[in-house]
This record gives sequence, C-alpha cells and structure tokens, in this order.
Amino acid sequence: MDFWAISIEIAVTVLMLVTLIADLLLPKETDRRAIAFLTVIGLISVFVFSLGQYHLSSSATFFMGLFIADNYSLFFKQLFILGMIFVVLFSLDYAQKFLRYRGEFYTILLSALLGMCVMASANDFITLFVGLELMTISFYILVGFRMDKTASGEAAVKYLLVGSASTAVMLYGISLIYGATGSFEFMIICRNLHLFYAAGLAGVVLIMAGFFFKLSAIPFHMWAPDVYQGAPTPVTALLAMSSKAAGLAVFMRVLYVAFPILGTYWMHILAAVSALCMIGGNILAIKQKDVKRMLAYSSIAQAGYMMVGMASADYAGIKAVMFYATLYLFANVGAFAVLSVVEEERGGTTHAHLTGLSEASPMLAAVMTISLVSMAGVPPTAGFAGKIYIFTAAVDYGYIWLAFVGFVMSMMSIYYYLLVVRAMYRDLTEQEADYAAPVKYPFAVRLTAILAAVATLGVGVYPDLLAKVTNLASQTFMR
Amino acid sequence: MNEALGYVHGLVGWAFSLAEAYDVPSLIGAGVFFLFAGLALLFACGVVFLRNVVHSALSLTATFICVACLYLSIDADFMGAVQILVYGGAVAVLIVMAIMLTRRDDMAHSNPSRGLWQHAGAAVVSGLFLLGMAAVAVLSPFQSAPQPLGDAAPGLADLMLSHYVLPFEVAAVLLLIAMIGAILLAKGAEES
Amino acid sequence: MGEYGGLGLFFLVALIFPVSALIPAFLLQPRQPTKEKRIPYECGVDTVGKTYVQYRVGYFLYALVFIVFDVETVFLYPWAVRFGHLGLFALIEMFIFIAILAVGLGYAWKKGALSWK
Repeated sequence: MDFWAISIEIAVTVLMLVTLIADLLLPKETDRRAIAFLTVIGLISVFVFSLGQYHLSSSATFFMGLFIADNYSLFFKQLFILGMIFVVLFSLDYAQKFLRYRGEFYTILLSALLGMCVMASANDFITLFVGLELMTISFYILVGFRMDKTASGEAAVKYLLVGSASTAVMLYGISLIYGATGSFEFMIICRNLHLFYAAGLAGVVLIMAGFFFKLSAIPFHMWAPDVYQGAPTPVTALLAMSSKAAGLAVFMRVLYVAFPILGTYWMHILAAVSALCMIGGNILAIKQKDVKRMLAYSSIAQAGYMMVGMASADYAGIKAVMFYATLYLFANVGAFAVLSVVEEERGGTTHAHLTGLSEASPMLAAVMTISLVSMAGVPPTAGFAGKIYIFTAAVDYGYIWLAFVGFVMSMMSIYYYLLVVRAMYRDLTEQEADYAAPVKYPFAVRLTAILAAVATLGVGVYPDLLAKVTNLASQTFMR
Repeated sequence: MNEALGYVHGLVGWAFSLAEAYDVPSLIGAGVFFLFAGLALLFACGVVFLRNVVHSALSLTATFICVACLYLSIDADFMGAVQILVYGGAVAVLIVMAIMLTRRDDMAHSNPSRGLWQHAGAAVVSGLFLLGMAAVAVLSPFQSAPQPLGDAAPGLADLMLSHYVLPFEVAAVLLLIAMIGAILLAKGAEES
Repeated sequence: MGEYGGLGLFFLVALIFPVSALIPAFLLQPRQPTKEKRIPYECGVDTVGKTYVQYRVGYFLYALVFIVFDVETVFLYPWAVRFGHLGLFALIEMFIFIAILAVGLGYAWKKGALSWK
C-alpha cells in the first residue's frame, strides 16, 4: 500500500471535488473565473510536485502491481496535466460566453483528467477499464456542453452510441482474455501460453478493435469528424490531444506488457491500421472546409504516425511515440486556442471565418501557422523532429514501406494545412474589408498561444532535452 | 383401469431408466440455459424490430430479466440479484422515463425500421461474427472456476475492498460524474 | 440450481393459472366492438387529449438520482455482508466512497433536481 504511487490521482480527485463544492457555494450571479483559476493553480502545483517523482530505481506500485507509477506513466500524466492547464487557460472567455454550466465544466474536465491518469498507470484490465470509462463518460458530457447548439447535443449522442459500442467490444475481448488466462493482471497474462488458443487471439483482436475505436483509427473513425465539429472547441482540443494520448499510452502498455508473446500477430495489424490511418486521414482532410473537421481527419492521420512508432515494438519506437505525443499536444494547443478565439469573435471555424486573420491579429495567425506547419512536419518545427524519430524507429525495425507511406503522406498533408494558412494571409477583397478589424482576446489566450508556439519551435530547434526525458521514461518501461 | 395403470407404470419406469442413462440434473441445467438464452435472444430481437419504442423498452426489460435468470442458473446469485435490481428495475424505469420525456403524439411508429438491405447487411455481419465467436468458444479450453461460486457477495467484498480498492474508488467518481452530467444535460435541455 | 428450480416451478404455476382463466374467456367472449367500447377505460370518465404526453424532466431527474444510489447499494451490500472480517481500512474506504457520492447528492439537491416545482 503505497500512497505515494497514487498521489497525483488523489490530488486531482481532491481538486475536482473542491471545484464542485466551490461551484455549489458560490452565489449564482458570480462568474466562475475563480474556479478556473483555482483549477489552473491546483494543476500547476500538481505538475510541479510530480516532477519530483521521476526515479531511477524501481517503480512504485499500488496494490500488488495493479497500478504502477513508473516514469512512463508519469510522463504521460504530466502531458495530460499540461494539456488541461492550457485548455482551461484559453477557454476562460469561451466558457463564459458559450457554456451555461461553467462551474461544472471544470469539474468534469478534472474528472476526465483523473480517468486519463488512472489509464496511464493501469496495470490490469479492471483498472484500465474503469479509468477509460471515467475519461470517456466525462467526454460524452463535455461534448454536449453547448446547450445553445443542436450540433453539440447531436455530437454527444453520436459519441455516446459509438463509444458504448466500442466499450462493449473491448469488454468482450477482456472477458475472453480472462476466460483464456484466468487473470486480469498484465503481469500474469503475459506469461500465459493459453493466449495462443482461439479465445486469447480473438480477445486480443477485440481489445485492439476497441482501442482503435477510441483512437478513431480507420476503419473505426466514422464518429470522429461529426463529434470534433460539434463539440465545444476546447473540448475538441482535448479529444484530439489528451484523449488520444491517453488511449495510446494504455494501448502501448497492454500490447507490450500483457501481450508481448503475440507480438508477431499484433504488429502486422498495427502496421496495416496505421498505414490506413495515414493514407485515409490525409486524403479525407483535403476536402474539408471547416478547420475543426479538417483537424479531426488530421488527428486520424497523426494517430497513424504514432501507431507507426508503436508497431516498431522496441524502445526507440516508444520514445518516438512519447516525443510525438508531446509535440502534437503543443501544436494542438496553439491551433485550438486560435480557433476558439475565432469562433468567439466570428461565430465559426471555416476557412472563410479565418480570412484575413493575419491583419486582424498577426500574433494569432502566426501561432496558427506554426502549429499547422508542425503538424505537417516541416522543419524547423517540432513536427519534423518527431517524424524523423518515428520513421527512423520504423526503418530500423524493418518497416521501410510504412516509413515510406508516412513520408509521402506527410508531404501531401502540407497542402491542406497550407490552405488554412493561405486563407489567413491572402489579400482581402473590397467586400471582406471588415475582416481586417482587430480581434479582441484576453491575456490568458495570448499566454497559451505564445507558450505553445515557443514550445513547438523550441523542441524543433533543440529536440535533445525532450528526447532525454522521453529516454528516461521509456527506459524504465522496457526494463 | 389396471391396463392404464400398467401403462403409467411403464412410462415412469422408462423415465427412470432414461434418467439413469443420462445425467438428468445437467440435462435440466442445459434445458434451462437454452430456454432463457433463447428467450433473451427473442426479446433482444424484439427490441430491434418492434415498431413502438415503448414495446421495445418492455422487450429490453424482459431481456434483462432473462439474463438475470441465466446468472441464477449458473449459481451466480449476487449477479442475478443485481441484474434484476439495477437493470430490471432502475434502468428499465429510466428508459421509460426518457421515452416519456420526448414529445410525440403517437408511439405507433416511434422505432422506425431500416430498409431490407440494411437488415440483410446487419444480419450477414452479425451472423459471421456469431459464427466466429462460436468457433472460438468451441476451439478453446476455458478456465473454469475451481469450485462453485455459491454466495459470491463476501468474496466480492474481499476483492473490492482490498485488491481492487483503486478501481472501486474511481468507480465512485465515475458514478458522481455520470450523475452530474446527466442532471445538467437534462436540465439544460429543459431550459433551452 | 435446486432452490431456483422451486422458484421456477412457482412462477410456472403462477403463469398457468391466469392464462388458463383468460383463454376460455377469450374463446367464449362475444365480439361486438363499437367505437365507445374501444376507448381506454379511465374510471368511467371519457378520456381527454392524447394518451402520450410529454413528462416533465423532474421525473427523469428523480429516476436518475435513484439509479445512482441504487448502484451504490450494490457496492454497499457485499461490504455489509463481510463487515465483521474486513476491518478498519475497509471502513475508511467505504466512507470515502460514500462521501464522494454524498457530494453528488448535495449537488443534485442544490441544483434543484430533487425539488418538485
């Protein structure tokens, strides 16, 4: 019983309950900015505190290895916390303007964070499942948070239906694995040769299908575009970066820790699905007029890149995935911070709404450009370094064709990212003159946007620091 | 009269000899299983195919209860009771309440059915899946419980409160969030 | 299995009795439907309006809060059965569990999900 191992989770839970109680105690008329600041300050202190948990010795576990606080999970938890801080900061005004239940918004954001943290540390299927459900149920609610927009409610219902179906599929897989091996614990399952029977193999396939649903990997991606478009913009940002990173974190642990002996089977499935994601995601993104929808397809492609790293099942691959998840987070924060301001000021997120942003607010346009260029993987942004790591790992492992597909597709992706940039920077016609009027946005958005852009460029120019951290994190994982 | 009694005697003797030849309790067990499994499937089809959504809800409740009977038939008492209490009771009520929240004059065509091709496609896909899963079930040796479960509640308590504390407490948060979310979405829908 | 067999038999008998009473009635009844006869019977008073009306969200919220605490009971029951053996740590765990859900009850109360306006 080591409470040190679950200290981050305890802190997040307490913070969540405090925000809920604060919302109940505050008078109805006061706005909920105080709760937002409380959330940010609490999360920053948890982040700083968690820095001290990196270790070189063996990892702390809670209850006989059901929950493991290794550097790998710690890295991902910090990623989620960071993403959450950024989202709360840039959504301050958005929440005030569009959301009816502002206090609960932060409570549910924190519960989603708690679910992600539990997932990152889960070392058995029950903990994994409860964490995953906490995260997804929080997201069902968050997606439908805009009471003034029917699209939001529709997106929530779609997400709920598809998500429940995928949960059922995954549960079925877990039950088959339990039937075959008699255990839920990764450390025990991994030694059990019954996995090679039909039940074990079917279980692994169903569990993978469930994860592909959650990661919106092609061919399980049907829900993603509508949900991303309908959800409130800050929630879309979280869906794209944190929820996906959490899914990947636990997916990697399941595959590498619970099912390593089936590696020869699942590696090929992963490689095929990642190729499908990269090809399909990038091609479907080209046609999109709405930037949120475009980013949904692009996130499918990005998940594909990260799965390339997973398919090369060694420590360079894990390191590359962690590196890429981090830089994708920064790029997403930048892009969605700008999008939420644009949605507030201009009422939408299509290319037309972004027209003339370079004159209305050069800073926002620049941050958007840097973020999109990083997603496309153009030097000197972080995306370039991340793709180099991933494709090198894949080539070293022998997946040359996969690296080739990824390379060609990221070349193609530059086109649709630059379409957005063109909309922002092209000359305005006479009728569009009022698009040049300056856009108002608060200091918090400026802060997040600049931080995200600086991080994207900084990691791109000097990737060694982040590489070292991911090294440390992945080494304790593959021990 | 005596002849008739002789017939009955003969029939009873035949039944007893059958009972000796076969393992009757396990036969009855199999019969009960197939009865409730069949009923559960039938009602599940009803949920999909009935045109009136209230009838679908009723059919769903029947499915829940059949599943509870399946649990009881394999001596999983606690699971059976929970299934009846939570699904047969509370969830069924919630579903009916949710239906009554919708605005509709006539429930006759409230659960519209898709065209023939969708039905055929769904039937083919789910049939293939069923076949695959049946093959899996037949081909693999499952680990069965070392002894009959009996009264499962104390064992569950031991597991829940020692081995699986963390998922247990996270489940409390999950319930809390689900309740908050449902309340605010329902109230939000009403107010707007 | 054995005990439930008895229960099953009980249900079977309980089913046979009403059905065996209804079937002769169904077979013997004279069928002369008129419009008057086919309207729903409501204490002898003529029905007013549509059968299906939209319910207020209050009912739904009640059911919702009920289901959450119903599930909580499911968790409480095994603990209560095993209370004597589990000791102090389990007691604390259970109190944390209940406290988290009590916050939910407070929320429902404060937000008016329990009030009947």
